Amino acid sequence: MTVWKTSMRNFFAHKGRMALSAVAVLLSVAFVCGTLVFTDTMNTTFDKLFAATSADVTVSPKNAKVDDIPQNGKPESLPASVLARVAKADGVKKAEGGVSSPAVTVVDSHNKNMGSETGAPTIAGNWTQNDLRSMEITSGHAPRGPTEVMVDADTAEKHHLKLGDELRTIAATGDITGRISGIATFKVTNPGAAIVYLDTATAQRALLGAPDVFTHLSLTAEPGVSDARLKQNVAEALGGSATYKIQTQQEAADANKDSMGSFLDVMKYAMLGFAGIAFLVGIFLIVNTFSMLVAQRTREIGLMRAIGSSRKQVNRSVLLEAVLLGIVGSILGVGAGVGLAVGLMKVMGAVGMELSTDDLTIAWTTPVTGLALGIIVTVLAAYIPARRAGKISPMAALRDAGTPADAKSGWIRAGLGLVVTGAGAAALWATTRADKASDGSGLLGLGVVLTLIGFIVIGPLLAGVVVRALSAVLLRFFGPVGRLAERNALRNPRRTGATGAALMIGLALVACLSVVGSSMVASATDELDKSVGADFIVQAPNSQPIVPQAAEALAAAPGIEHLTHYRVLDAGLTTPDGVTKKQEVTAADPSYQQDVRREVLSGDLAAAYGKNAMSVGEDYATAHRVKVGDTITVAFKGGGTAKLKVAAITSDDTALDQGAMYINTSTARKYVPAAKMPQNMLMFAEAKEGQEDAAYAALKDSLAKYPTYKVQNQADFKEDLKDQIGQLLNVVYGLLALAIIVAVLGVVNTLALSVVERTREIGLMRAIGLSRRQLRRMIRLESVVIALFGALLGLGLGMGWGTSAQQLLALEGMGVLEIPWPTIITVFVASAFVGLFAALVPAFRAGRMNVLNAIATDG
Amino acid sequence: MAARARQVVKAYGTGETRVMALDHVDVDIARGQFTAIMGPSGSGKSTLMHCLAGLDTVTSGQIHLADTEITGLKDKKLTQLRRDRIGFIFQAFNLLPTLNALENITLPMDIAGRRPDAAWLDQVVETVGLAGRLKHRPTQLSGGQQQRVAVARALAARPDIIFGDEPTGNLDSRAGAEVLTFLRKSVDELGQTIVMVTHDPVAASYADRVLYLADGRIVDEMNNPTADQVLDRMKDFDARGRTS
Repeated sequence: MTVWKTSMRNFFAHKGRMALSAVAVLLSVAFVCGTLVFTDTMNTTFDKLFAATSADVTVSPKNAKVDDIPQNGKPESLPASVLARVAKADGVKKAEGGVSSPAVTVVDSHNKNMGSETGAPTIAGNWTQNDLRSMEITSGHAPRGPTEVMVDADTAEKHHLKLGDELRTIAATGDITGRISGIATFKVTNPGAAIVYLDTATAQRALLGAPDVFTHLSLTAEPGVSDARLKQNVAEALGGSATYKIQTQQEAADANKDSMGSFLDVMKYAMLGFAGIAFLVGIFLIVNTFSMLVAQRTREIGLMRAIGSSRKQVNRSVLLEAVLLGIVGSILGVGAGVGLAVGLMKVMGAVGMELSTDDLTIAWTTPVTGLALGIIVTVLAAYIPARRAGKISPMAALRDAGTPADAKSGWIRAGLGLVVTGAGAAALWATTRADKASDGSGLLGLGVVLTLIGFIVIGPLLAGVVVRALSAVLLRFFGPVGRLAERNALRNPRRTGATGAALMIGLALVACLSVVGSSMVASATDELDKSVGADFIVQAPNSQPIVPQAAEALAAAPGIEHLTHYRVLDAGLTTPDGVTKKQEVTAADPSYQQDVRREVLSGDLAAAYGKNAMSVGEDYATAHRVKVGDTITVAFKGGGTAKLKVAAITSDDTALDQGAMYINTSTARKYVPAAKMPQNMLMFAEAKEGQEDAAYAALKDSLAKYPTYKVQNQADFKEDLKDQIGQLLNVVYGLLALAIIVAVLGVVNTLALSVVERTREIGLMRAIGLSRRQLRRMIRLESVVIALFGALLGLGLGMGWGTSAQQLLALEGMGVLEIPWPTIITVFVASAFVGLFAALVPAFRAGRMNVLNAIATDG
Repeated sequence: MAARARQVVKAYGTGETRVMALDHVDVDIARGQFTAIMGPSGSGKSTLMHCLAGLDTVTSGQIHLADTEITGLKDKKLTQLRRDRIGFIFQAFNLLPTLNALENITLPMDIAGRRPDAAWLDQVVETVGLAGRLKHRPTQLSGGQQQRVAVARALAARPDIIFGDEPTGNLDSRAGAEVLTFLRKSVDELGQTIVMVTHDPVAASYADRVLYLADGRIVDEMNNPTADQVLDRMKDFDARGRTS
């Protein structure tokens, strides 16, 4: 019981000193719980949505894919005759044919896109009774005839649409323009899809390109008939379920969820990963806190030991404090996590993903996970300091309670650290020599982990070297105050090492990613310069294909030398060795040879665009022992089978079109019927000599009616690429900010505890004439040196990682290494400011300390 | 006069709980003299020294250091004054553990951005007998050596006045005697002014003059004392304190 009491008293006596550790635990736990609550809420939202939109039983074509945008712009369909057969099945109360296509873009009369800019689908369909499950018409009426359209209320609100406004639906078969006849409101949360309804005949013609076909049939069961029963009956009516996909409400909802779920999982684990990094950084803070508390309490602990406490009791009392800290931090963290989730939902709302707090889901596992993680991590972190406390001899009670002795880092530790770092460096070096990306990625991971651990272990040793070097360069301008700061940063290398290491982790990741990111941009730019000859590139967002009417509009633009079509066809390829493999074949116009220059290893690429000819990539040729002149049997999906002669083998040493097999567009047309022909994935254009600017403007004008497509010249394309990667990096940096904040708290913590520890010294210095300003400067400089130490290590390590990663990715075409010096230097300089910032409060408090503390003869 | 206090009052608390640590004290510290302040625990001797040295503020009254009135000075000025014109020797924790002996000695001048006078520094180091140990850290020095470094620091900046707060309190008698001898020498040979708080009659016997404090008041003084005289006087106070 006494152990418990001592721990409680100590905990509350030092609550100020525990505060920052508690905040570190709080932040990490909050991030974990926030992530869990947020993803659970998303899951709930989609569960509700899909449960509400699915019919009791849904019949759809066998190979219909949920959410996939069909290459030819028309989703798989089934004939209307099936509806009649299904309707007769036992237990069917109502059977309706539905049409739904995600391959559309909806624009208003000003050609403004009504859909989401952030990846949520735009869906066009017909309005059926089944839709009443999830929606109700809140104004106007359902569309009647080809000139009417109904839109969902969220979209209407977002774009200020009202009844009578014009909407144009762009689909593969053409544009359908209609006026808004009604607005339908979701009864559940619709996270962001834009939905328009057409009347059934229009939807069939416009979205599927044929009358009397549906994408799915929605069946309602008679009362008392279970979904499973109904499914069975329907399967019988259709003569076995082999030709069609028959799903109960649950199955349909699950299938929909699966397509969403992988995205949610990726997001969840990525965010948990960042929470993990924050935890790792928090460990350093907690270790430091407890080490310092134990050091400051040495005499007290010695006394406890002298009067009969066992080692175990001392050890346990420190661990109990850690448990208390963990509990307090975690409970607050769980609460903050829920708040964070709500905040995240608001942020998502701002970027177009609407979530409702009504769906806020807090599973019982969330607080349990948060508490368990928080407490376990805290106790683990406090374990080493607790053991050290247990080892304090009773003699400590008799010694002067001065400043705790300087901790020297041991040689064993240094040796161990050097070995681990060396092994890590070797792994990284081996990474750069790897021949296959798959071999290298394991080595890279090993190298990253080992060098990180190694740096953490030799941190104290490095602290000595790096702090001296930094001081020699920076602190000498600050005279004696600088020297005092240097000595203070050096006096406990273990502490400085741990504090710096915390910062190092976050910054290493920043540096690594920035190196990879800018190498990516540099490599792509280099590749573009080297191989792209086209003046202009046309593409759609989210790899959507380009509808034919947009392609035609582009073709009509003046000042164009040529416009290249670029399609990707699915096919089964049989090589002379008899192996059949599914493969993508690229169908392009011969002008593509000028648009994207390819290195040809053998044969003639121009000949590959000839009649019944093709080219293959180097790896494929090697794998299947294909030579120029061989014949490959190509079975086009939805088309005929062709025997094509290999006319060229292209090099795979490229980032663009790696492994692509080319055929002429006309060859594709010969074997694939127009209705099944995929739409263009990309298009390339070349301006007539000297008309580049005019052509660029003309191309842009031609796409005015199709706002989602982008035409870019090379400069804009590069800029865009840079922006995209930059944005991605910014998101990652934002998530890493958590770890960096915890690390900065660590610096504040170390300084604050050091100031307390050095009360006497500070008093002495003030007594013999150190001014408040000098004192504050001394603490600030110490802080800056610690921060810069962490930054130097982190940036160095990160650049090493990034360079190794680039060398590895060079195998995948990322051939150019670019170290983003402006970013690196900015981070380094910013770290100095972080150091200044971290020292604000500790320096202020030191300045206010009573001078007499040094002189009060017995403390 | 090196220092002068007039009607100095230092009180803690208010009303019923008001405690007078210093009760209208008048003191004159003569230049070039070694003054000891003695008194039982709680007599206010340390408080008096802290106030004279500008470490603590007074409730009322005036304190002059040479011609400068220090009562009412702002912290910045006081700090400068301590740095440039006062030397300190404390009982313990006199030295910064991160600096070596020489760096500790020159610290006040370093802080002030002044170059130490090399010849004077040599003389001081020579006097306190630390020549061989200047590169040592405080942890590598004995208690007596540490105090000698502190004395050297106090002397090196040639302050107007040095205040010592039980400078030998933590030392054995031999080491203590060494330190006191240096202090005595610095008064006799270098003309230094020293004020020292102590409760050790032997230490006090090195002084030119001893002031006795009790209950915040100066109750007696003695010139050119011997240890026995001081001890007798102390016993006398103790006896009176007990009977009164």
